[in-house]
Amino acid sequence: MKIPLKYNLGSLWVRRVGTLMTALGIGLTVSIAITMMALVNGLDSTFVETGHPNQLIVIRDGALNEVNSYFNRDLFQTVRLLAGIAKDEQGEPMAAGEIIVVINHPRLTGESSNVIVRGTSAMGLKLRPEARLVQGRWFQRGLREIVVSESLSNRFQSMRLGDTLHMSRSDWKVVGVFNAAGTAYDSEILADYEEIAQDWDRPIYTSILLRATDAPAFAQIRQRIADDRRIHLQAVDQKEYFRGQTVSSAGIKALGFFIAMMMGVGSSFAAMNMMYGSIMSRSKEVGTLRALGFSRWSILSSFMVESILLALLGGVLGCLMALPLHGISTGTANFVTFSEILFNFRITPKMLLLGMLFAATVGVFGGGLPALRAARTNLINALRD
Amino acid sequence: MKYSWLLLKNVLRNRRRSLLTITSIAASLFLVTALLTLLWELKNPGQTPESALRLVTRHKVSLFNTLPIAYRGKIARVEGVEAVIGSMWFGGVYKDPSNFFAQFSVDADQFFEVNADMRMPEDQKEAFKKDRTGAIAGKNVAERFGWKIGDKIHLKGALFQFDPELTLRGIYDGGSDDGGSLYFHWDYFNEGINNAGFTGTFAIRARSAEEVPKVAERIDALFENASVPTKTETERAFLLGFLSMMGNIQFLITSICSVVIFTIILVASNTMAMSIRERVREIGVLKALGFRSGQILAMLLGESVVLALAGALLGAFTARWLFASLNLPALTGGFVQKLNVGPGILSLCALIGILVGVLAAGVPAWRASQRPAVEALRRVA
Repeated sequence: MKIPLKYNLGSLWVRRVGTLMTALGIGLTVSIAITMMALVNGLDSTFVETGHPNQLIVIRDGALNEVNSYFNRDLFQTVRLLAGIAKDEQGEPMAAGEIIVVINHPRLTGESSNVIVRGTSAMGLKLRPEARLVQGRWFQRGLREIVVSESLSNRFQSMRLGDTLHMSRSDWKVVGVFNAAGTAYDSEILADYEEIAQDWDRPIYTSILLRATDAPAFAQIRQRIADDRRIHLQAVDQKEYFRGQTVSSAGIKALGFFIAMMMGVGSSFAAMNMMYGSIMSRSKEVGTLRALGFSRWSILSSFMVESILLALLGGVLGCLMALPLHGISTGTANFVTFSEILFNFRITPKMLLLGMLFAATVGVFGGGLPALRAARTNLINALRD
Repeated sequence: MKYSWLLLKNVLRNRRRSLLTITSIAASLFLVTALLTLLWELKNPGQTPESALRLVTRHKVSLFNTLPIAYRGKIARVEGVEAVIGSMWFGGVYKDPSNFFAQFSVDADQFFEVNADMRMPEDQKEAFKKDRTGAIAGKNVAERFGWKIGDKIHLKGALFQFDPELTLRGIYDGGSDDGGSLYFHWDYFNEGINNAGFTGTFAIRARSAEEVPKVAERIDALFENASVPTKTETERAFLLGFLSMMGNIQFLITSICSVVIFTIILVASNTMAMSIRERVREIGVLKALGFRSGQILAMLLGESVVLALAGALLGAFTARWLFASLNLPALTGGFVQKLNVGPGILSLCALIGILVGVLAAGVPAWRASQRPAVEALRRVA
């Protein structure tokens, strides 16, 4: 025989102030756990969603990333003419030689961070169709012009359309603002390759971005570059390259896990306290239930259910408290390129589900011992109380 | 204070409830202590009296631009500079990229004048200076990889096409990086990069702390109109630059701490509300015996403060003990060198405990103390 759920709901309602306080405590725990997950997920998916299939990034052999890489300009011609590289409408091979430099620049809040400036070309833009102009126009050669991502423009000083930014030896004019659909390129400033190489006095390429015609050509180009011992280059799958940068979130992941665990322990004890209090104050009721013929097992499961219900109420509150964070933009250090990476908090249905599961776990831990205690109630003693 | 025995008796009345409350608060305060200590360590990198004398010069644009090593001689002649060395981030790979730790190539000749706060036997210092391919490692790094003096360390260049083969000549402790880096000769590095003759930064020791700001100004003025301009700042400011790069960590940590503290207030006030509700009649009896409202309020508040404070101190001291006994660099892959829970954070935790106690019991205790004895005694608990 099962004790009806109505009984549990009723007893939670009778102690509504205590119920709400405990649920709120669990809710805050859940909301912090979801926040940390949303932070990690936002950062990770920024990297995971960057890149296109069949595109390769060519960097110096042994370099771990574009920022570490550099090679002579003549190598670009060798790579550009490899068979299997896709052609654009004009019949030009789709390969762009690029340079990355880094500037240390103040945010609107005053603290400085490193920002990637990419010297590229019209071909480079073609290979990144996700980068779309939202304001102004693209840069032109010879005019010291830059185009800034929307996220950078909202976060750093003098990066609005029309602003002038001093970089290296020149003043650069912001002539456009772009949006790269939440990819890692949303953390970059774009300019003309020749101008950046000249102004930084670095007549080199740091990387080549290229597109293969299809998957077999992709594998072939990759192999050919690896096999050519004279050029000392390596070609990396563009998607894999960015996926590798998710190591940047390892610290936040560990910190988030630790925080959620400790808060979970704290809330479990709090829920246990509440359940003990609630069960002790109705020992007569429990005795009556036993007298009515409800088994120890149904009493145990009924109180477990009550505790889980209490915790799930907290879980719902936690999800509601965390949801407004979705989409908020923030930034941290990319540990691979050592510069600012911008991303949005991203809450997925899976996270809300995990949050509810986390709450239920707190309910199980908090309710277990008190429910056992209730199930063990001695009928005679309880009714005599 | 006369009634403190009564207060204590009340704390111990429902032992399980008190224990659960204390454990819950302790778990939360353990977390708060860990977070605050982490923030404190991040914001106060390697502070020794020596570090106040150190400055770092880098390229004005960013750390990614290098400086010509020829600047060393010019900086050495600047008034107020006692010693200067070139220091270049090497960023090589030791066996696997996941074995990350800081590696620098440095001018060995004056290295120990600039880093006078590194603790290392004199004979090891000499051995390092003499061996062009020698290296010294911090205690934490050496422990992490099980290195002993005389061991060969092979690094694979990532930023540079150069794979140094080093011999460990010494193990240091302390210093601004708390024993978390490896240093080898800049001369050897320069040879590996075809004598390109550049460095990332210069580390400078000023003659006195008063001269530090002036030295920074003088150095930057010297190169203001050169093709490679510099930015000189104190070592502390330089290191804090890395923290600011990580984004608004301070905001993240302080908001999490506030949420946690708010949660404990909920937990504690729930406990106190339950326990006060159970003894309305008893409080009525005390009143009937002639206890004044103020005394009852103080007693109830005291009870709550004792509970919260016990939890807070338990959490904070557990954190202090645990962080001191764990091998943090190994556990965190070198990210956290140490978490030293100092007296400042311990007192802050105690303060939080008292505050939580007062806030948690405030409303129910006030109500209970104001209730007339007759009404309280009439109540059926």
